[in-house]
Amino acid sequence: MTIQLVTGALALAALVFSISVFASRWAQMQRLSFAKDFSYPKDSALKGILYAFTLGMAPWAKESTRIHMLAYLRGIAFHVGIFAGLGALLASPWFDLIPTIIRIVCAVLTGFGAAMGVAGGIMRVVEHHLKAISTPDDHASVWLVTLFLAAMTLALVSSAFVPAMWVVAAAMLVYAPIGKIRHCIYFYFGRLFFGIHIGRRGVVSGLIEHAIPVRSEVRHGR
Amino acid sequence: MADNTAVSKALQVLERQLNRPLMAALQVCARCGVCAEACHYYVADGELEHVPAYRAEELRKVYRRKHDFFGKHLPNWVNAQDLDEATLEKMAEMAFSECTLCRRCTFNCPMGVDTPLMMRALRAMATASGKAPEILEMLADAAIEKGKDPAMFRDLFVAQVAEMEKELQALVGDPNARITVEREGARVLYVALAGAHTILPPAAIFWAAKEDWTLSIYEAANYGVFLGDTARAKTIASRIIDEAKALKVQEVIVAECGHACASLVWDAPIWFQEQFPFRVRSLVEVMAEYVQQGRLPLDPSANPEAITYHDSCNLARTSGIYREPRVILNAVTTNLREMTPNGLENYCCGGGGGLVALPEYDDKRMKAGKPKVDQIRKTGAEIVVAACENCRLQLGDLNAHYSMNVQITALADLVVKAMRLPKSVAVPLPNAAAVAVGE
Amino acid sequence: MADPIKPDQILDLKGLLCPMPVVKLSMAVKKLQAGQTIEGIATDPGVMADIPAWARTSGNELLSIEQQGKEYHFIVKKTA
Ligand code: SF4
Ligand code: SF4
Repeated sequence: MTIQLVTGALALAALVFSISVFASRWAQMQRLSFAKDFSYPKDSALKGILYAFTLGMAPWAKESTRIHMLAYLRGIAFHVGIFAGLGALLASPWFDLIPTIIRIVCAVLTGFGAAMGVAGGIMRVVEHHLKAISTPDDHASVWLVTLFLAAMTLALVSSAFVPAMWVVAAAMLVYAPIGKIRHCIYFYFGRLFFGIHIGRRGVVSGLIEHAIPVRSEVRHGR
Repeated sequence: MADNTAVSKALQVLERQLNRPLMAALQVCARCGVCAEACHYYVADGELEHVPAYRAEELRKVYRRKHDFFGKHLPNWVNAQDLDEATLEKMAEMAFSECTLCRRCTFNCPMGVDTPLMMRALRAMATASGKAPEILEMLADAAIEKGKDPAMFRDLFVAQVAEMEKELQALVGDPNARITVEREGARVLYVALAGAHTILPPAAIFWAAKEDWTLSIYEAANYGVFLGDTARAKTIASRIIDEAKALKVQEVIVAECGHACASLVWDAPIWFQEQFPFRVRSLVEVMAEYVQQGRLPLDPSANPEAITYHDSCNLARTSGIYREPRVILNAVTTNLREMTPNGLENYCCGGGGGLVALPEYDDKRMKAGKPKVDQIRKTGAEIVVAACENCRLQLGDLNAHYSMNVQITALADLVVKAMRLPKSVAVPLPNAAAVAVGE
Repeated sequence: MADPIKPDQILDLKGLLCPMPVVKLSMAVKKLQAGQTIEGIATDPGVMADIPAWARTSGNELLSIEQQGKEYHFIVKKTA
């Protein structure tokens, strides 16, 4: 019981730390200037933003992800695992109340995510260019998250692993906002600014034509 | 560190540039590497240095050393690096010669990382610390000088235009065809580039469309943009903006030039924090509108050659002008052959970002243009159309360097060729294509 | 402006479009000794405005500039 209390408190403290550092990063971002755009828009920014967060993320929407389809799908599966893992983490004090079937589904997602994490970690060292642009932080981050997913999978399968999982989760939560994992909040800004750009400037409708296969004959050709 | 003025100036500029979009770009990269093939430099040689994320990391290393927790306390953990003068020079060369600011990587990044924004920041840092290419500074300063004292050249310009007017009259077979200069109250102010080739064909098109237009005495090019130097870019743009306000025009139309269009349409309203009392559009958009409104008497059989269109990055990805050129081409040509990929996915020709004006980087530029050459060759086209002066200069150089045996031309030239004119007198157009550019 | 100046170098800028005449000229001037002169011959009418502006900002002296038919001739003296 005490080990549960101690590790649980540790995870909770880490969660509070994580959220507050992320919140301060968010606040810092809001304090930075973002010039008002007085240009006459060619199309709607909102349309661009919607595209950027939805269709624009589809594996076939970009040449890069078409070329690197497997790597991209791996990344998606990894991140789906992460979201499932985080959801499970929030529910972890009440695991025993959760129906087995949900725990199993969750375990499959996190387990698969962990496997994809391993694949990602390996890719980072075997692919020359990927290795060259990676920092130690990048390697550590992928392995730390992978470890968390693995621990979560075990915890979902057997509650005996919950304290161990909380320790790993605590480490990950503390590291997240200061290491590379922090890209998770900047992602929203990155996509948002991209969305505004393609929206206002009338690029988005062309991208939509590309991304919706039915209309792919729009590619003007001979 | 304080003794090193170039470095500290560069760092100050970095701090000043740090706005929300730049911060996002500096923070968000996951170093997944999928952007590699997006960059034409990488496609040309597959070198690590040409992976967009690699380029961006050069700036991030410096940023992290200053601002990141690990960068400050455990720099090796995040590859953070102090900026020294040698690194600054290397980064400056990279930003000016190995990135054409084409945005292809941004469009291909799952995070939307704005690498060209970071390269612009680097250019600004280099410019402020005296590490920018001299020629770009000289061109920007010369443009500013012209704006200070328009009287110096105005009469001469008007005289040149008077001669062009005669050519126009002969071309369209109408002795009343006019090219007015800075006429107050005209609906449209057209801003050309230096040289008759961007004045005469549009003049013929405006004449045919019965447009109420007048000519600016300034050229649309803006070398301040390439320097990443907003102060100079603003000064250069303000010549045209003030002119348009004084003439009370409703619309400013920019010649077929990518960066000139992007900077006046999209950047200037942000620089000046002002909504101008006129719209700014590219000549390409306006020509497409004329075509769609049926205002031009066109006969596409006048251009039966195999033709391909090169999308300027500044027009397609930056300004959303990728449909309009096709509207025009479908109306004035009969054998359009698209490159693969094209439109929003097109490859940069390798001449963007001011590179065509920098002879010291000719080799890099020719190498980076190779993917474009391959694309063009595959179409089997005899004529390559581009709606950007920088692209046309680069394509002309590529044409010579790789013996492509194609003709390079502007959209307006093809439109004029396809126009059924009443009793057109054969006057050769001052066609950019006929000119062998470069050495 | 019938000038008797015999330039030290002649630069053929015919057929070049903006900004290349100015670019080539400034590169050539860089290689000159102070006091030497160079004559440029261009076909792009833009040079009539661009060369004087360039001369002012670069601090070189524009000795003459004139139109001769379809060509534009100008002579620049390197000052520094
Ligand atoms: S810039 Fe984008 S695509 Fe390239 S490595 Fe970074 S996150 Fe991946
Ligand atoms: S903007 Fe273009 S040239 Fe620059 S890194 Fe990206 S793809 Fe390469």
